[in-house]
Amino acid sequence: MTTLILVLLIILALYTLLSRDLLHGTIALSAVSLLSAILFYYLYAPDVAITEAAVGAGVSTVVFVWAIRATERRDSGK
Amino acid sequence: MMKRQRVISFLQTFLALGAVLAVVIPVFLSDFPWPTSARDYLEAHGVADSGARNLVSAIYLGYRAFDTLGETIVLLVAVSGTIGIIAQSGVSLARGFGEEALDRKTASPRLRHRRTELIDVVTGKLGPIVLIFGLYVMLFGHLSPGGGFQGGVVIASGIVFIALGSKNEDSTRLQEAGMLARIEAAGFLSLILAALSGMVTGSGFFGNPLAGMGASPVSYIVILNAVIGLKVGAGIGFMCVAMMGRVE
Amino acid sequence: MLDRLLLLLLFLIGFWGIIARRNIIKKIFGLTIINSAVVILFILEGSRIGNSTPIMSSGIADVVDPVPQALMLTAIVIGVCITALALAMAFRLYRSAGTFDIDEIRRKIHDEAS
Repeated sequence: MTTLILVLLIILALYTLLSRDLLHGTIALSAVSLLSAILFYYLYAPDVAITEAAVGAGVSTVVFVWAIRATERRDSGK
Repeated sequence: MMKRQRVISFLQTFLALGAVLAVVIPVFLSDFPWPTSARDYLEAHGVADSGARNLVSAIYLGYRAFDTLGETIVLLVAVSGTIGIIAQSGVSLARGFGEEALDRKTASPRLRHRRTELIDVVTGKLGPIVLIFGLYVMLFGHLSPGGGFQGGVVIASGIVFIALGSKNEDSTRLQEAGMLARIEAAGFLSLILAALSGMVTGSGFFGNPLAGMGASPVSYIVILNAVIGLKVGAGIGFMCVAMMGRVE
Repeated sequence: MLDRLLLLLLFLIGFWGIIARRNIIKKIFGLTIINSAVVILFILEGSRIGNSTPIMSSGIADVVDPVPQALMLTAIVIGVCITALALAMAFRLYRSAGTFDIDEIRRKIHDEAS
């Protein structure tokens, strides 16, 4: 179960860094946080799971979306 | 010329990754067994020392309370720094933070049509429920999973929901940036006062002032949890609400 | 062992994102991924010595190590503060340079200095 979640995390992290659209990368990063929260719950750490879910899928995504909306959305170039 | 540039940059990346690998492999792949002495001591004495059944709360409010104090200071500095950097670039932040009120009638059409029914129903109506859940998580931190930080970030999410989904101008004062800044400062001051109160009764800084008296020592943990939760929630909520204001 | 190898790979992916992507927002993505990888490492290592949640009720024994969990709570909140500050600085850089591309910004600084 841990191994499966870690493999999914690696695939999502690669998509975050290689996507052309910055907004898609932000949603993938929030999915990374959600999967980490599920992993923490599975590893008997419910306090860390609550914090990671609220912070990663909530506050961090809001801050990223603000930064992208205020500037530009396409990642041109390499 | 371009080909050589690309080969050089590729080589630099490769060398940097190799150096990081050489440093980080002993950390990630060591075979040293995790020591069990901390867990054994805490299992035996954790509940008796601080009165909280949640051992994680006993650690960050009892045994390692200075880490918590330092972390609230880091949060304060980061929130002030972020707002300061953004405000200096000439962008107007949220209303109620020294700016004029945003008049919905004369706002640009794009601003007015952006709010749909979906956002209004989901975030506006769900906001108070998330706030109540955050209060519950914050105040029951000594008996079940939860505590100051956990409840604080859930409260921050609730504040963001309310600020996103409110239709009228002043449905609640909790979404004004000025009010949240004042709550955060009050929370930090209360934390310092609660920490100093231990010195008055002779238990030292961050010591439990109710250690020898009639009340159970766990009420000090509950008070600390509530104060930290308010501070963290108001701080992060203030940062998010100020970012969601008008950005030209 | 396989789990820790996968975590090492995640850490390296985050680090590669910081040094090899030209967009500043991609670099900040890499910073967040590194943060997540280290937090998962600590919780994973702490959970090997027990098999129940560290909340003491009657009859609960052999709990997981609670010390890494308390440390990682602080680490996660500080991580989001660092992300917010980095994004504020990136926003400021965009307002004064007009682009997120780090090579263009370096060229502009070079042109202004000379």
